[in-house]
Amino acid sequence: MWFLLMLVILLTNGMSAFGLKMIAGWGLPETVKYPYLTAWYAGGLAAIALPMLLKGMRVGKTELFWGGVTGALSIGGQIAMAVALSSGVPGHVVFPIAIGGSIFVVALAGRLMFGERMNPPTALGLALGFIAVVLLGAS
Amino acid sequence: MGMLFCFLGAISFGLLGSALKAAERRKADAAGLVVSAYAWPALIMMVRTLLLKSGGHVPTKVYVIAVLFGICAAVASLAFQVSISIGKVTVGWLMMNLSAGVPVVVSVWMYHEKLTILKVVAFGLVLVSIFFLSWGQVIEKRAIASNPAEGE
Repeated sequence: MWFLLMLVILLTNGMSAFGLKMIAGWGLPETVKYPYLTAWYAGGLAAIALPMLLKGMRVGKTELFWGGVTGALSIGGQIAMAVALSSGVPGHVVFPIAIGGSIFVVALAGRLMFGERMNPPTALGLALGFIAVVLLGAS
Repeated sequence: MGMLFCFLGAISFGLLGSALKAAERRKADAAGLVVSAYAWPALIMMVRTLLLKSGGHVPTKVYVIAVLFGICAAVASLAFQVSISIGKVTVGWLMMNLSAGVPVVVSVWMYHEKLTILKVVAFGLVLVSIFFLSWGQVIEKRAIASNPAEGE
C-alpha cells in the first residue's frame, strides 16, 4: 500500500504543475493563468468531492479548520517566494532554499512533534533526497 | 531582505507539511481535508478571475488541461494524506518534492530541453534516494510485524 501511494504521489504531484509550462509553450497571455488556476482547483475539488457526495460523506469542522490552515500556509509560502524573487534573489537560490528548507522543517517537526524515528536506510534516503531536491531546484 | 523571505517561504511550506500531519493526528478525514484545502483557493481564484474583466477568449484546451492536472494534484494530495497515516510525514513530504523531477524529465522529452550534468546528478540521486527510502520502509514493516508495539 505504502509503495503504491509513493508511486502515485511521485507521478501525479510531479505532473500537476506541468499545465502552466504547456500554457507558456502555447504563447497565451499572462492573464490566462487565473481562469486556468480556477479550473485547476475546481477540477481537483470535484475529483474528490463528487465521490464523497455519492457516498453521503460530509466535510466536518475539523477538516474545514485544517483545510483553512494549510491553505493560508500555502498562500504564505507562495507570497514569500514571490517577494524573494521580486527582490532580486535569483530563482536558483529561492527554490532550493524554500523547498529544501521545508523538508528540513518537516523532518524537525516529525522528530520533535510527532516522535518519528528514522532507521539508517531511511535517514540516508532522506539525506540523498534532500540533496536531489536542492539540485533540482537549482537547475 | 530577499533572503529573509526565502527562509520564510521554507518555514511556511514546512509548517504546511507539519499541519497536514497534525490534522491526521486529530483524525481529520483525508478526503474531507483535501476538499477543504481545494475549496478555499478555488473560491479565491474564481473571485480573482471574475474581477479580472480581461474579456479575452480562453481556449477550451486551457480548461481541459487545467482540470486534468488539477485532478492529478488532488489525487496526489489525497495519497499524501493517506500515506502519512501509515508512514512518516518526512518521507511523504520528501516524495512530494522529489516529484519535481518528473516534469523535468517530461520537459526534456517534450520540449527537448537541455539535459545538464546537474539534472543528471539530481535524477540519479532521486533514484538512489527512493531505493533507500523503500529499503527503510521494508525494514520498518518487518520490525513492526515482529514487535507490533514499535508501530505505535
